[in-house]
Amino acid sequence: MATTGREQTLYRHYIIEEYLLEEEPFYLPVNDEVEVFEAAYKTKIPVLLKGPTGCGKTRFVEYMSWRLGRPLVRGRKRGKAASKNGTGKGLPLVTIACHEDLTSSDLVGRYLLEGQETKWIDGPLSRAVKAGAICYLDEIVEARKDTTVLIHPLTDHRRLLPVEKRGEILEASDQFLLVMSYNPGYQSALKDLKHSTRQRFISLEFDYSPREIETQVIEHEAGVGPEVAVNLAKLGEKVRHLKDHGLHEGVSTRLLIYAGRLIAGGIPPRRACQAAVVWGLTDDSEVQRSIEEVVSSIFP
Amino acid sequence: MTDKAYDPAMFESQLQRFPVSVVTEFRGAEEAARKHLGADDYQAWAAEGVSLAQHTFRSWEAATEYFKSTPRVVQALDFPEVMEWARWGRALSSDSPVISSSFFRATPEVIPYVRGSDLGRWAGVGQRLYKGTWKSSSLASTYFEASPRLLGALSLEELEDLVDFIDSLAQKSYDLANECLALASGVFPKIEPGDRVSFLSLGSVLVGGNWRDVKPYFENGPKIIERVEPRQRGRFLNLAQQLSQQGAGNTITFLVEASAALGEVHPDWHGPLLDMADRLAAHSAAAVGEFVKNAPVVMNRLRGERLEGWFNAGLRVLDENEDGGLAFFRLESGRAERAIEEMSSGLDLARVNEVLTMYCRALAGQRVELRPTDELQGKGIGWTSSDYATTEGDNIFLPGFVERYTTKDENFAWFKVIATHQVGHLEFGSFGFQFDKPSTVFAAEEQRAVLGKRDGDGGARIDLERFFDLFSDRKLASDIFMLVEDGRIDHRVKYEYAGIGESYRRVQRESLRSRPEPDSLPLREAAMEVLVRLSLEEEGTVKTPAEIAEHLDALAVMVRTMQNEERTVEDTAEATIRIYDLLSTVPNVEADPEGGEERSMDEMGQDADQGDLDQMMQDLMEGASGEGQPDGQEQEYKSPQMVDFRGEFKPELVQAFDNLKNERSKAQNPMEITGLSEEDLRQLLEKSAEIEVTEAQEGDLPQSSSQFVDNLINEAARQQQAKAKQGTQFQHSEDDDAPLAGEAETFLYDEWDFRAGDYKPRWCAVREKRMDEGTVDFFERTLRAHYGLVSRIKKQFESLAPEQLRRVKHLPDGEEYDFDLVVEAMIQARAGDTPTDKIYWRRNKVERDVAVSFLLDMSASTAEAVDETRRQFDSWDFPDDPRDYMTWLRTRREEMSRRTYKRIIDIEKESTVLLIKALEAIGDQYGIYGFSGYGRENVEFYVVKDIAETFGENVKRRLDKITPMHATRMGPAIRHAVSKLDDHEARTKVLFLLSDGRPQDRGYSREGVEKEYAVHDTRMALLEARRLGITPFCLTVDRAGHDYLKTMMGGDMGYEVVADIHTLPERLPQLYRRLTV
Repeated sequence: MATTGREQTLYRHYIIEEYLLEEEPFYLPVNDEVEVFEAAYKTKIPVLLKGPTGCGKTRFVEYMSWRLGRPLVRGRKRGKAASKNGTGKGLPLVTIACHEDLTSSDLVGRYLLEGQETKWIDGPLSRAVKAGAICYLDEIVEARKDTTVLIHPLTDHRRLLPVEKRGEILEASDQFLLVMSYNPGYQSALKDLKHSTRQRFISLEFDYSPREIETQVIEHEAGVGPEVAVNLAKLGEKVRHLKDHGLHEGVSTRLLIYAGRLIAGGIPPRRACQAAVVWGLTDDSEVQRSIEEVVSSIFP
Repeated sequence: MTDKAYDPAMFESQLQRFPVSVVTEFRGAEEAARKHLGADDYQAWAAEGVSLAQHTFRSWEAATEYFKSTPRVVQALDFPEVMEWARWGRALSSDSPVISSSFFRATPEVIPYVRGSDLGRWAGVGQRLYKGTWKSSSLASTYFEASPRLLGALSLEELEDLVDFIDSLAQKSYDLANECLALASGVFPKIEPGDRVSFLSLGSVLVGGNWRDVKPYFENGPKIIERVEPRQRGRFLNLAQQLSQQGAGNTITFLVEASAALGEVHPDWHGPLLDMADRLAAHSAAAVGEFVKNAPVVMNRLRGERLEGWFNAGLRVLDENEDGGLAFFRLESGRAERAIEEMSSGLDLARVNEVLTMYCRALAGQRVELRPTDELQGKGIGWTSSDYATTEGDNIFLPGFVERYTTKDENFAWFKVIATHQVGHLEFGSFGFQFDKPSTVFAAEEQRAVLGKRDGDGGARIDLERFFDLFSDRKLASDIFMLVEDGRIDHRVKYEYAGIGESYRRVQRESLRSRPEPDSLPLREAAMEVLVRLSLEEEGTVKTPAEIAEHLDALAVMVRTMQNEERTVEDTAEATIRIYDLLSTVPNVEADPEGGEERSMDEMGQDADQGDLDQMMQDLMEGASGEGQPDGQEQEYKSPQMVDFRGEFKPELVQAFDNLKNERSKAQNPMEITGLSEEDLRQLLEKSAEIEVTEAQEGDLPQSSSQFVDNLINEAARQQQAKAKQGTQFQHSEDDDAPLAGEAETFLYDEWDFRAGDYKPRWCAVREKRMDEGTVDFFERTLRAHYGLVSRIKKQFESLAPEQLRRVKHLPDGEEYDFDLVVEAMIQARAGDTPTDKIYWRRNKVERDVAVSFLLDMSASTAEAVDETRRQFDSWDFPDDPRDYMTWLRTRREEMSRRTYKRIIDIEKESTVLLIKALEAIGDQYGIYGFSGYGRENVEFYVVKDIAETFGENVKRRLDKITPMHATRMGPAIRHAVSKLDDHEARTKVLFLLSDGRPQDRGYSREGVEKEYAVHDTRMALLEARRLGITPFCLTVDRAGHDYLKTMMGGDMGYEVVADIHTLPERLPQLYRRLTV
């Protein structure tokens, strides 16, 4: 359930594995990624999402968790099935942002002092395994290699998570699926995925959507008119041409949406693009200037 | 008159004892004398001749000339004057018969210029030159001989001045005086009378100083002066004189350079320029020459009015610091460039190249390069103008400098518009025309079939070639195609890029202003002109010939049809066919001068729509054969005036070029090339309307076109190669002709001039090369020789590595409890204390993230023997003259090859080998570079191992080849190494400089003796490194190092002087460890 049931809370908080999406996330499929993911989920194959930042990987996982949580027979008797399942709100999604200092205890769990005794607290991964959630490890390459090997037993036929400190082994729920994302753009020699890790996943490649789709996304997400949206998508397309010619990464759809929101909020388009796109992308003044010129060519 | 009175026989007999020529001349003259002179006068004349002959030994020669000149003299002069003349001759002959002869000989020619009464003055001037020496007599006679010509140009007074000058010059050198006098007759006619005094007075100053300069001064004088605006010539010479008096450099050099500079500037500016020069002379004479010399360069970039502002800025610098001011006016100063930049409204392409390149790449979505147009023009592949923007399909070419407007922003906007138009051709597919692709609006098939008389497989290999082959008048078709396509691109750009629309429309409107009125042109051209205006979306009214009113309506409909964002280049082709059909029925004859009518461009063709168009055209074309056709003299069709912002558009050529590039890249070897053959190309080029054949080329078209074909093929191959090995971002300058271009990349760096307190912009050229590969022997030998040391160093370095993960305790949050701390906290709690909450520990990663560049000094002095202190080469001793230097180098090399002793460089190399071992053990990123060079244009930078490169056999082999070379220009080498290091990401960056002495190089100092300059530049380079977060460290084996290193490294940068060079291999790793931890 989504809320804890109390009426007067100042904020809403959820147990990690109980957080469910209430509404269908907006996602426009570009390819057959939805079908592939569904098939992978059914056969319990973990999924690796590759693609540049802000191109919709996380949104895709959200969308899939929502979609997969719906009864699988959806379409035939939608209304009934949903009510039978009781939730109608999708699978729980546990997102873990990986970083350099992420340790195995951060994932699996640790003992905490409580009064005079210690108490075991499950880490997010353990919870996801138990509850049967989709566990989404974002930017997996950022995590240390000794941490990433921890997930290996979860990703093959065993589907187990050893909890050394308690001398336990957790068996993953049938609903559980491990999904990781990674951005090959800024991989360096130091930060690459180990082959023993990456070969446990099927991979879905993401890229920025084509102009038409991106236009719709921006239009929907930013609440701007089609004209602004198409111009923002055009800007995105042009700026992405600069990848490796001064930019390490193209502009993300996310930033374009932000720009759109600023425009919708009454900021003049050129200024909005400057704040959201130009300055967001680079600190190199020459490159900034070039992008500004592109902006000023597109937006009156 | 009696015979007695005229008694030639008597005189003849008196002349008998002289050589026969005297009598002969006497006889010749006698008759004329008899005719013009009375008997008494005759007697006096003859007697004078005789006494002249008798006057001195050899004075008979003078007498000969006397008689010879007589006929013309007596004709022109009164008798008293004749006698006066004769007496002068006699007086001169007592000085020297030679002078006298010259005098008499020259007189007849001089008489037209000199009044008889002034003859004496003229003679007197010559006499003054005679100083009783043989040389002076020769000078005096030169004077008389040159007189006729001189007097043709000079007044007698001026001649006197000249002789005064010559006289003073003669005191230095008679030969020179003689030559100058001879030159003078050629020089002075070319100098305006008003400037002669100045000319001579400057000459006199030269005589006082560098008198040898007088001859080049005379020789080049007229050329120098005529470059200067006539009214300013005197001032110019006076200025030179003033400078010469102040001893500022070589006056002739100044004259030549300054006048050449003035020659490049519009004459109206000579006055103001000289005003400034005069003002400057009061501050620093030396700066004047530099200023005038560089004025045209500055004025190319600044509007004239702003020159003064720049000049004043320079004057202020000069007052602060003379060296700085000199550098400023020499344009060897960053400040001068910045001042130009600030004051100029013009825009250099180079300034905005990077921004615009990225802009174009973003729009085009391909790797476009932006280059100045003259580069394309220079390739000789069909583009001939350097003023217009254009593209050859892959890259975009823009004019190198723009100053159309008074502000930088407007000029930039212009650059942006023309670049966008060119990108538009790429982005919207102007060059992607496919013959068989259908049009989006026109009924394609039939039209082409109708016109397709020449189609079939007529040898056309290129789609556009095949298309243009459809037309009998290729030029007209080509013009129409370009206009319609340019119009389509304009429209599309404005549609896609709403933001640039405003500047774009502004540029379009401006380009309409200077266009000819259609009614002033012959009919067909008028129609084309209207087409241009329609494509530019003109809104006002235009006077058009009434004869073609309906044609224009049809054109307007056509153009409007094309002004739609969905139109393609194939539509352009279809439109071209229709417009061509229409216009080829319009005769190119004068319009009826009365028949012009004002028409609003907006309304033109407004009543018809596209559906009617075919009918309209049909009617018009049928009407063309019938009555009512305008008649008159058919004129040759001329292409409409260019629309400058659209630049040059050569689609057919681009397609051909593209074909060349693509086919060649596909082919594995030259035999398999399936694209255009040379013959295809030649045919294409000969018929294409896009290639202008100048008249000079017309004669040998086959030859020039084959040259052309070669150029095209070579250029295509070159671009293909360049594409294959892309990624040379830092390539600052490119020299296609230099043989080394393939292996050495050139980078330009500024150099710090500490006296001027400013950088000299782009002063040093660093040539980066990969070190040649030798054998691995050296590497292996060194490892064997230092076996013990190697393993010790390795151990030391390896001990650095495990410190990578450090356990940090006392944390409020962490991986795990620290049980000791938990127990402690419990005890505190039991004791009633507040227990600490910092009871966690965590493994913190201490990542070693080091990038280091080693810069090895490969100067000649490193060839010094290590043990043999006696045989020291003084590295300061190498000759400055390049030729001597080469000899010196050769002898040194020979000595080197016989050596058996160890040199400094060997120790440097050994140390490097050991260090490599150590570095490989801990995995730091490192680069090894060597540098040397000779002069600022040749700083050689050898890459032994680049930072990103992995260590391997080839690095070992390259190490072997490190040898002493030339001089030590440290600054640029450091800057280059720093720029490489800066491209790498690492937490710690170190630049390790390994040298054997102070920096020094030819011209690496002001006058070649000033060591400070080099030291300061090096220091500045090191400071620049520091600013970029790089730690510089200098290690030297020069025992005298302490004195200059203190200046060079200051108190804030590390250095060490290794006292005993043998310890270097051990010391280097130690230092390294200390520096990078």
